[in-house]
This record gives sequence, structure tokens and C-alpha cells, in this order.
Amino acid sequence: MAVGQRVLESAGFRQEPGRLTRLRAWWEQEHVFGYGLITPALVLLVCLVAYPFGMAIYFSLSDYWVGSPGAFVGLNNYREILSNDVFRQTVQNSFVFTAIALGFKTVLGIWLALLLARNLRFKRLLRGAILLPWVIPTALSVLGWWWMFDSLYSVVNWTAIRLHLITAPGPNWLGQTAYAMTAVIVVNVWRGLPFFAITVLAGLVSIPREFYEAAEVDGASSWQRFWTVTLPLLKPVLAVVILFSTIFTFGDFNIVYVLTRGGPVNTTHLFATYAYQIGLQGGNLGQGAAISLFLFPMLFAVVFLQLRYIRKE
Amino acid sequence: MQTRRQFFRVTAGAGAGLALAQAPALAQKRELTFFSWNHFVPASDDELRKQAEAFGKANNCTVRVDTVAHLQMPAKIAAEAQSQSGHDMLRTASADTFLYENLLVTLDDLVDKLGKAAGGWYPFAAEMNQTKSGWKGVPWFWVSFPGTYNMAHYKKAGFEPPKTWDELLKQGKVLKKQGNPVGIPISHCSDAHSTYWSVAWSMGAKVLEPDGKTPGIKSEKTERVIEWYKELYRDAMEPEVLSWDDAGNNRFILSGKGSWIHNPISPYNSALANKQPIADDINHHNSPGGPAGQHSAPPILGLGIWKFSKNVELAKEFITYLFRKENFDAWIVASNAFNHPPLKHFADHPIWARNPKFAMLPKEAEFAHPRGWPAHPNDAVQRIDDNYIMADMVAKAVNGMPAKRAMEWAEEQVARAVKGQLKVS
Amino acid sequence: MATAASARAKRWAAARSYGNLAPFLFFALFPFYFMLVTSFKSNAELYNLKSVPFWIQTGAITDHYGYLFQRTEFFTWIKNSVIISVVATSASLVIAILAGYSLARLRYRGVASFGTAVFITYLVPPTLLFLPLSQVVVRLGLSDSIWALIVTYPTFLVPFSTWLLMGYFRTVPREVEECALVDGASRMQTLVKIVLPMAVPGIVCAALFGFTLCWNEFIYALTFVSQSSQKTAVVGVTADLIRGDIYYWGSLMAGAILASVPTVIVYVFFLDYYVSGLTAGAVKG
Repeated sequence: MAVGQRVLESAGFRQEPGRLTRLRAWWEQEHVFGYGLITPALVLLVCLVAYPFGMAIYFSLSDYWVGSPGAFVGLNNYREILSNDVFRQTVQNSFVFTAIALGFKTVLGIWLALLLARNLRFKRLLRGAILLPWVIPTALSVLGWWWMFDSLYSVVNWTAIRLHLITAPGPNWLGQTAYAMTAVIVVNVWRGLPFFAITVLAGLVSIPREFYEAAEVDGASSWQRFWTVTLPLLKPVLAVVILFSTIFTFGDFNIVYVLTRGGPVNTTHLFATYAYQIGLQGGNLGQGAAISLFLFPMLFAVVFLQLRYIRKE
Repeated sequence: MQTRRQFFRVTAGAGAGLALAQAPALAQKRELTFFSWNHFVPASDDELRKQAEAFGKANNCTVRVDTVAHLQMPAKIAAEAQSQSGHDMLRTASADTFLYENLLVTLDDLVDKLGKAAGGWYPFAAEMNQTKSGWKGVPWFWVSFPGTYNMAHYKKAGFEPPKTWDELLKQGKVLKKQGNPVGIPISHCSDAHSTYWSVAWSMGAKVLEPDGKTPGIKSEKTERVIEWYKELYRDAMEPEVLSWDDAGNNRFILSGKGSWIHNPISPYNSALANKQPIADDINHHNSPGGPAGQHSAPPILGLGIWKFSKNVELAKEFITYLFRKENFDAWIVASNAFNHPPLKHFADHPIWARNPKFAMLPKEAEFAHPRGWPAHPNDAVQRIDDNYIMADMVAKAVNGMPAKRAMEWAEEQVARAVKGQLKVS
Repeated sequence: MATAASARAKRWAAARSYGNLAPFLFFALFPFYFMLVTSFKSNAELYNLKSVPFWIQTGAITDHYGYLFQRTEFFTWIKNSVIISVVATSASLVIAILAGYSLARLRYRGVASFGTAVFITYLVPPTLLFLPLSQVVVRLGLSDSIWALIVTYPTFLVPFSTWLLMGYFRTVPREVEECALVDGASRMQTLVKIVLPMAVPGIVCAALFGFTLCWNEFIYALTFVSQSSQKTAVVGVTADLIRGDIYYWGSLMAGAILASVPTVIVYVFFLDYYVSGLTAGAVKG
């Protein structure tokens, strides 16, 4: 285009402000260009997220059954759910699950990142190995865990019994409330820790060495250095990682669905698994959608707070 | 060909949308599609595909059988129902026929024809497919749910297989001391409800009143069921039953540790197929009874046709073909006696009589009921099972909740399942 | 003397680091080791309560892999997964680069709210979305083909990638861009020739992340596609190898391990980019 113009000009053609040029000038305006670039993303998200999302909201407000639309019922579905103690249990489970898993991921993630940041031999290999659980499809790796927690063939119990840590048959990992919650949390931490550690590592790498040197000159111990230099500088990264991890953890489906299907006695149900059970297996799409939608304002609140925090930083 | 068609579909979809995308593929052979589960005995699916191919050849069409794991079916079926598109036929399980009553083709004529030709349908299999608006599925097969026991352990304890649930409890106490506990899942899996329904019926308890709308749990009889479960759990089983999935009890009996489970014959068949020596020790007996008689709640499966299908007639022909005596027989043989026919005349297949370990299985039909009985099945029955209400009631009780409170909890949950019933249009 | 002491101290510190890393490595890798061992065990040993679970005692067998290769369409599934992941990720990246640049660099009315909106779409849970989305897929005429997945996967890839790239574009100095614009380059040229090369680590990072998400996706892949020949690796392995109350543990584990190989390879090559890409993206996000 630009070259073509120059050729035309050099050939003596007087450039009229032609249609193409006008178009180009129009396109080069900052706001037009801005809107133009964001249009594909908006079209996609409106058609394939916002529109189905709107439909889901409509489901939740009507007596909708899978494949069979029903009458508008206002907030009935929500009322029905809130009065159901299985749902209240689900809410409680979700918070316990998310809080504990996130806590472990944060502490262990920082610790692991600090270890990985050291200049060791086989650094690449180590980082790659640590990242594995994150890379491998959850739907498949969880099956491996399931086999490890099996009531008869559990390798965990087998080992603990041989080491005389517990007496046979040992804990029933997926059948007793506290153990089952522990099991799903362990698998979630296993799966999410690499993302945490590698992202925090990325943040660590970007901290300029001078900061540490200054602290060292002041004679700070390594623990003090961590508290006064590393942690404050990591805060923005941590906020982002925690944000994403909250989303992943709160909305988890696969781990619980494969390991316990919400059992024992609904003590490991999360929003996604309970919504699946009510809305799909039971056909009550309206209620299922309402359960899923409860997830949204909660996530939204968490994310809103965290985003505000990030912006302030 | 495949990719060209897809390309066409994509461009059409992106360009002109609905109208073009649905343009008939004139040059193409008719294709009948059938959505089914991964049969628990793989050879049964091989035989099904073989028959599908033969049917296709004879009728100048292709029949595609897509199968997935049974736990993955609900999501897929729901998506097809919701988008009004997908396969022509599907395998229905339990009360699917009621859940999708509005969306399935009524098959009264076909069911009538097939039934007359072969001695009529077993009532329990028929009821599962008979909705208020007609037959929404052809009963395909049912799966007997006998007692499965380890003969060596039983011999060591000097017991005969139990005739009643109370006898099982007595035996279990001894067997557990011997190191060979019994196992009934009290967890979120479908075997857990199959057993609960039979135990409850045998002791005279019920879940729904005959009207199908009123919860009928709170009673002394249910309390007795709960107390029986508590005792069995404490003295004859190990806590692992609280975590089992459908495969849990299979592994338990196949490992050689367990002495008794309540399950279809799949563990025995799989031990045979894998040449595990334990196959010799495993035997079956009819599902136990109780003071209110002998009752069983076998899984009942059907064949449904979506209303949105464009091949309804062809699908009916295919079903007729599957129900030809020689085809059905071959399919029973392929499943090694796992698939029980819902038609009376098909039930005298020699495969059961020939193997003494299977001989008693057809008798289960005499005392089988659809879930929900004494109520006629309905979509709420599906939710009672899918929400694991009865298994959870028992689990709560064995974990220390008083039986009365556990029953109240279950009654309230059942009331919820019934409350929002599907409106049939 | 002093150098020897400090060398020893250094070695000691390194040993301590390895020692501290060991439990993490064990935790991360043991399940894979266990899956690997399981995939080579004979069924008889697998279900023998007396056998040692940690290693193979009665001889390794490859039957489970044989079953996977001969009785299932495993390679087709892998091929489908590769096509879907590559195409969906590439398309999403293009969309996300444009959107991310627009949101990070250009000033126009509503830019902030667009940014928030894009991010919020990331919060909508797929378990809620897949039923209505299945209707959209049918209306587009895409059901039952891998195109259904190629079109729907960007819904969760674009928000994340946009977010990550926004952060990255902000690290590119404004002056560089302004110079290019003053020199007469068009805005698009500036984006493609000046800004993009500086954002390569961010783009690689987003690509890796996207590829992983596509490869691991389950619920859409299960519900939008049903022919075995159109399935992805994750769905194929779980859908075909779980048969009711009998699990093909050996083949399942074999499938799980093999289906993981492609993503592992991708990560091995791009790990450093991933780390540095996350740095800028996350810090400035």
C-alpha cells in the first residue's frame, strides 16, 4: 500500500484523497483500531459464552427440564436449593476444599519456588519434573490416584502398614468423611502446586539481585531476607496466582467426580459435581443451573477483591 | 468423504447457518446411529456391532454403534435431548424413559408385535418402559442381581448360601471373624441402590407410596432395614464398603478376601475371561428374601428412539432385527449369560441350564420389580437413585445418626425429588 | 583453606537443596511411576493382595499396550487431540493478541470495561455452559465433528491468553512503538513487526497454557462428539476403557501415560519461555 502510493506519486499522479486512503486514515484512528482489534474476541465471547450463559440464567429461573422447557418460576429454584441441606453441605465443602487446598498450595508453592530458584545442576530437568502433574490430563491422572486410594489395593496403606505406621487395614481414604476430603485435597494440591510454584518462580527470577545484596550488607538472615525482601516483592505475582488458583479450585469437577462422586454422604460434593448430579443425571436443569450459578457471585466477589488489590499494588 | 462432508458442514454452518447445514446428503447411504454403553462384558458389544453390520448390509444402510462408559452417558444424553440432535436411538436405563418422556417416540405397535411373537414381556421390564403417554422404550434386557459367594470360604465356615438377609447377617458375623467379610456398598454407586431396594422390599419397607407421589419411608419396617444394615456393617463388613464404586465389590470378591457380594455375574465372567483361578471358587445363588418375601431390583435396560430422529422407521426395523430369536440368542451367548431377555420365550435359552452356576439366574425374573415399586416407576425414581438418597440414609445411620433422624432426612429428600416432577406435554 | 571451606559449604548447601526438593519430587512423580508400573503388570499380579505394589515381580508384560493399540483407535484419538489443540490454540492466540494489544495499549472509550468483561467470561463454569452451548454447536452445524471442539475451546482460551498478553504488551516500552508510528508504519505494522517480536515469550507461554488446557479438556469433548473416530485422547481412553464394574486398569494407565507424552514433549522444549513469559505477564497483569 505505502509502496504503491510512492510509485504512483513518483509517476506524477497527483494523489486524490481516494477511498482507500480515507479508509486507511479512518482505520488508523486510535479508537477505531482499538475497537477493530477487540471485535473478534467480543464476537466469540458474546456468541459462545454470554449467550449460553444468558440461557443458563433463564433455565435457573424456570421449571426447565432437560429438553423440556417449562414455565417461568422466578426465584423458586434458588429458594428450593437454599432450603436443601445437601446444598448447604456442598457450599461448606466448597469453602473448606478451596481454603485448605489454596493454603497448602500457597505455602508449599512458595517454598518449592525458592528451592527451584537456586542455581542447581539439572535445574531444567528438576523444573520439568515438578511441572508434570500440571501438564498431564486430570481426567487420566486422577484415575491413577484413585487406584492408589483403592480400599483394597491402596499403595498408601500398604506402605504405611509395612512401615508399622498404622495397623491394617488402615484408613478408608474415599469412604470416611475426613479422609475423603483429605484425599481430594491432596490430589488437588498435587495437581495445582506446579502452576503455583512455576509462576512464583517466574516472579522470583525477576527480583533484581541488588535488593538481596543490600539486605545482605545489612546482615539480615535468610529468613529476614525472605520476609523483608522476597515476600513483599512477590505480592503482585502471588495475588495473580492465587486469583487463578481460586478459580480452578472452586470450580473443580473431575477430581471429585472420579474419586468420590460427592460421597461419602455428600461430604465432598462441590458446586460442579452437585449441579451435575441434579441437573443432568436427575434431569432438573433449572435447579442444576441455579446451583452452578451460585458459584458465579462467589467467584465474582473473590475475584473483585483480588483484582482491586492487584490494581492498588 | 467424511472430511468433505464435514467441510461442507462447517462452511455451511459459518455461512448460511441452519438451512444449508441441514441440506440432505443425497449421495449418501442412510446412516442409523445408536448410542449405547460399554457393555460390562465386552464380547456382547462385539456381537451387537456384528449384527448391526449385517443389518446394514441387508438394508442398504450403515448402522453406527457408539458406546461410552456408563457413567458418562447421562451428560451425553442430556446434551442430545437439549440440542435436539444426535443419535437416532439410545440405550435407556432405569427411568430414562420417564425423564425423556416428551422426547422419545411412542413404540406401542412395535412393543406389541415383538411381545406377541415371543410369549409376552415380563411385567417388571414392561413397567419400566410404560409411561402415561405410551411405551417409550422397548425393554432390551435386564441384569440378574444374584448373591455371589466364594464357595471355599463358605465351606470352611460350614454354611450353605443364605436364603434370607437375616441369615446373611448371621453368616457374615462368622465369616468376618474368619477373615472373609461380606460386602454390600453403602456409597455413591448404583450397586448400592440395587441392593437397598431388594433388602427394603424383602423386609416390607418401601420408599414411595403406590401413588408415586407420597414418600413412604418413615416406618418401623424401614427402621428395621436400617438396623439390619448397621449390624451388618459393624459385625460382618469392613469400612471399605463406604467408598466403593460399582467396581469395588467386584474387586473385593476377585481378590479372594470377600466371601459374599450382591452383584451381577460380571466378576465371575471377568475371572473366566482373565483365567483367574478364583473363578472356580465363585458361585451364585438367588437374591435373598425376608419376612415380606423375596424381591429383587435388577437393572433394566431399554431401547428408545428420539423424536428428532429422521430414521424412526429404520430404527424400528433394526430393533425388530435385534429381537429375532437367532440374533438375540447369539447376543445372550456373547455376553455369557449376562444379558437376560425381557421376553418370556427367549428366557429358556440353554446357556443358563447348562452351567450349574447360572441355572438359578432366570428365576430372578419371578420376583423382580422396577425401582419405585409398589409405585409405578416415574422420573422421581431416577432422582432418588441419582441423588443416592437411600444409600446416604444408610450411610448416615451407620456413621452414628439415629435411625429416626436418618429416615426423616431421607423422607425430606424424597419429597424434594417428587416435588418438581417433569410436566408431560 | 578458606576456599576449601567455602566450597564445602557450597556443596553442603546444594545437598540441602536437593534434600529439600526430594519430597516434592517424590510427591510429583510417584503417581506416574506407579501408573507406569501398573501398566506393565499382569492382571494376576495386579489383583494379588500379597504382591508388592511398587515393582513388577512376575515379569513385565506389554499386553495392556497391545490392547490399547489393537482394540481401540488410540492413534486416531491422539491425532484428533493434536489437531484440535493446535488449531484451537493458534486461532485463540490470534484473537487474543489483537484483543490484548487493544486493551493494553490503545485508548478509547470503554476499554477498561471491555477488559473486565473479557476476564469475567473466564469465571463462567463449563459445567454450566455445556448444555446451552451444545445447542449453539448444533445450530452451527458442527455437532459430532472435531470442529465442534475447535470452535468452542477458544471460549476458555481467549480470556486467559488475552489477560496474559495484556500484561506482556505493557512491558514493551511505548517509545519503541511511537518511533515506528512516527516513521510512517501503520498501526498494524507496528503491532506485527515491532511489538510481537518483543512479546515472544509471552506468546509462547500463552500457547503452552492453551495447548495444555485443550489437551486436558473433558466435558465438551465428551458431549459434543460421539463417534470413536472423532474423540480426543482423554475422552477416548476413559470412555472406551472403563467398562462398567470392570476396569481395565493396565490399559487405562497405559493410555494415560501415552496420552500425556505429547504435552510433556512440548513443555520440555519451551520450559524456559514458559517461565519468562509468566514473569512479565503475571507481574504486570
